[in-house]
Amino acid sequence: MDRDIYQEEILEHYRHPRNFGAIKKPTYSSSAENPLCGDSIVLELRIKRNKVDDVGFTGSGCALSTASASLFTEWMRGKTLAQLRKAKPSQLFHLIEIPITPVRHQCVLLPLKSLQRALGP
Amino acid sequence: MNVTSIREQFPLIRAKPKLAYFDNAATSQKHESVIQAMDIFYRSQNAPVHRSVYKLAEGATEAYENVRNHVREFLNAKHREEIIFTAGTTASINTVVSGLAEGFRKGDRILLTDMEHHSMIVPWQAAAARKGLRMDFAPLTHDGRLDMPAFKTLLAKRPKFVGITHVSNVLGTVNPVRAIVRLAHRIGAVVLVDATQAAAHMPLDVRKLDCDFLVFSGHKVYGPNGVGVLYGKRELLKQLPPFIYGGHMIERVGREGAIYAEPPAKFEGGTPPVPEVVGLGAALTFLQKLGWKSIRKHEHKLTTYALTALQSVSGLILLGPTQTKGRAPIFSFALPGVHPHDGSALLDREGIAVRGGHHCTQILHESYTLSGSMRVSLGIYNTKEEIDRLVVALAKVRTKLYG
Repeated sequence: MDRDIYQEEILEHYRHPRNFGAIKKPTYSSSAENPLCGDSIVLELRIKRNKVDDVGFTGSGCALSTASASLFTEWMRGKTLAQLRKAKPSQLFHLIEIPITPVRHQCVLLPLKSLQRALGP
Repeated sequence: MNVTSIREQFPLIRAKPKLAYFDNAATSQKHESVIQAMDIFYRSQNAPVHRSVYKLAEGATEAYENVRNHVREFLNAKHREEIIFTAGTTASINTVVSGLAEGFRKGDRILLTDMEHHSMIVPWQAAAARKGLRMDFAPLTHDGRLDMPAFKTLLAKRPKFVGITHVSNVLGTVNPVRAIVRLAHRIGAVVLVDATQAAAHMPLDVRKLDCDFLVFSGHKVYGPNGVGVLYGKRELLKQLPPFIYGGHMIERVGREGAIYAEPPAKFEGGTPPVPEVVGLGAALTFLQKLGWKSIRKHEHKLTTYALTALQSVSGLILLGPTQTKGRAPIFSFALPGVHPHDGSALLDREGIAVRGGHHCTQILHESYTLSGSMRVSLGIYNTKEEIDRLVVALAKVRTKLYG
């Protein structure tokens, strides 16, 4: 049987997302939109000594994109800029653990899109 | 009308009797006769149309051209050359926009409404950027109908073009298209009616509407994907430049240039989707045999039932008119705290297929300050029992997300 994408761990992150809200003096920030639903996530980062000192996200999304942003921002803490630049979709799928159907890949990847925009090319 | 028997006539519905298919505004299921007509065509009639003179090809051409007559009759158009087959509504609208825009000048105005589909808005935005046109959007009233006084005010700016959807793909609102055409013609505007969401639910009469162009898609009238119709008044089609250039749309090609064919060929460049056109013909026959009277009676009942049922769900915010009159069976709503994607994914577990998102109407959703909604759009095979299931399932969705 397929594993439930609406399992408690995901819903817990949805109800109580980590790092939700704006941060003080962000070094980088950018938003990205999910063309599927029009949701957007704004990601803010503060870098100190080349490492993520603080991170936050705002916006409203579905359970998947919110949980993904919550898990991904947790992961980002303490990472170096180089590590952030190397983040790949597989990273987010790994964090979210459950298999995601193709149509909803965009929901999970929304925070990565924001990050990539924030850091620029 | 016997819904049980209708359900039997749709292979997918028959195969999935427990699925409440509520996404008909996106695409409808295909009637048995449509699939059969296409199957028969491929198995025994397939040949290129128009150019080859052997018997098989003549048969294919006849089948294709007969559907043109059929669509003419379906829309009550005056001439068969006024019926163009396209790939669908989006292709139909792009054909009109691209052609008209060539003749428009900087500063000319285009009047659309806040409830238009992206397929009407985006081609004009691209043309406006190219040609320096100005776009106005008529606002809606709080209950999701066109704000007629505001529309008239914008009409006073004398737009060259008015684009109006017959039925909103989100709100279900049926617009007073005939009155709108009359008003727009008074100031000399060309009017395109997007009948995509109307075609499966109500009779269309282009002569009565007096619209200049009217478009719809095959796949939303229980017919095949990949085929659509563009109706245009004969004189306008003669003046309109072609959109797709290539084979069949020419009268003569020389090194120095080409002379284009007359409509409809002028707008049907390339090999047309013949089996799809044949399938569309079967879909129209199905609708006509069933009869508008019984279709409307069934859908009217469903609409009234759904309006009451949805409004009984606590907290549900229905977009669009709350009364059956002037409404098609399309219902979009927001459930506070439930993201449309989560809502539709969770409804799917209850065997209910609805659409969650902005339904290609971001401007409309913006005017409701929503990024998206859930949409239930009904068809001829839907039942009251399915709506009852929806109401129960919506309560479950909330419990699942919030415990």
